[in-house]
Amino acid sequence: MRPSVSGGSALNYRGLSAIRANPRHVEDGARLMERLRERDTVAFESLYDGYHRLVFGIALRVLGDATMAEDLTQSVFLKLWSAPDAFRVGNFGAWLSRVTRNRALDVLRSRAVRSEDEISADIAVEGTVDDVVFARLDSQTVRAALAALPEEQRMPIEMGFFGGSTHEEIARRTGVPLGTIKTRIRTGLRRLRAELEGVVSL
Amino acid sequence: MNGHSDREEMMSLVAAYALGSLPASEHRRVSAFMLTDAEARAEFDALRPAADAIGFAAEEPVDSARSARMKERLMATVRAEAASAKITPIGAARSASGARPGLLMGVGLAAAAAAVFAFVSIIQNFSLRSDLANANMRANTLQTQIAANALVQNRDRQMVADLFAPDAQHYAVADGEIIRHGQHLYLALKKLPPLPKGKVYQAWTLAKDAKAVAPSVTFSPSSTGVAVVALPENADGLAAVALSVEPEGGSKAPTSKPAFIRQLT
Repeated sequence: MRPSVSGGSALNYRGLSAIRANPRHVEDGARLMERLRERDTVAFESLYDGYHRLVFGIALRVLGDATMAEDLTQSVFLKLWSAPDAFRVGNFGAWLSRVTRNRALDVLRSRAVRSEDEISADIAVEGTVDDVVFARLDSQTVRAALAALPEEQRMPIEMGFFGGSTHEEIARRTGVPLGTIKTRIRTGLRRLRAELEGVVSL
Repeated sequence: MNGHSDREEMMSLVAAYALGSLPASEHRRVSAFMLTDAEARAEFDALRPAADAIGFAAEEPVDSARSARMKERLMATVRAEAASAKITPIGAARSASGARPGLLMGVGLAAAAAAVFAFVSIIQNFSLRSDLANANMRANTLQTQIAANALVQNRDRQMVADLFAPDAQHYAVADGEIIRHGQHLYLALKKLPPLPKGKVYQAWTLAKDAKAVAPSVTFSPSSTGVAVVALPENADGLAAVALSVEPEGGSKAPTSKPAFIRQLT
């Protein structure tokens, strides 16, 4: 059983609460998932229209192969249809992003023999979250915020998220001490948060 | 290592935990640590939104043909399943069994044991039925998807044959052409302007006896502005085809000035 830290209190995004709601990423996704439980195919079509670029983009980024990304995209959406209860509460876009990333990493690992133990699938994106966090986050906003990070911080973050590399693997591949990698990931995520807050508060 | 340095070590891992880049063994340790350490929990709460946002950086326009293909397969699957799948609501049966603990009160040990045995049997039975239902549903989904894939492959082959048929009729439009072969009709467009966020291109058809256009397919071009789209309408009954930019999901009537209106004569 995978560990989860979500069962307790207050996983929240209040620090970013200045961000206003984006109907596509926040309200619509959760509402459409409600309708999926009623086997509403129109809601499914709307979900596909709204989110397939996100799912395919993450799958392509992780897998590096358009055909595999297409298969994975279909697999993710079929999973939404067959198990709509898998999404319970919270930010649908964030949840879908994590689900896609983890499924893609599962595929990636199934193709590769790794010397180290697998990274855990995920932190469950559930619990009492403040849905406004992803409000105005779109691809351009996040790309700009990532681009604003120093290379030494952005690289380990992207290797960890899209490459599925553990911090130890990142340290080995880059030749940077493990402690430095930990610090750069921590500093980079803090700075990324600050960049996103700065963008959305304009 | 003393308790203080242990804690420092765990705190140094919280960011990698939020990013999802810890090995499973360390992931479990940090997960347990955060249950008891408020500062670690606060650090995680602060960093997780940033980590969750990273996926959005990968969002990309999807090639229109690929997008349409995926959608067609998925919709064929879900529509077929929605129409046919009627799974017995196991949950309802489980709820009914919830009254069983009441039966145990005030009865002898043997009766209680029998009741427990029966309860366990029922739960196991329900569990098996649930597994079986899920397996059947998965099998149905796969069969439907295989059928949908075959259908799409056949359509793709048909499209190629139509587009390159020597007797196909070509109607020039801005940025491309409309191609008709028999009853089949296609838009083959290039250099389409990029769409604003939340917008799609939508085709419109005008039937020979109609006074107003009817909505047809929606699509997004590739990143280079290319789109090859099959229109589902029978070309025999059409007098004209138009194209406009509409909100995602399509419109019932055009809401913007058409990019082109082309008579099929």
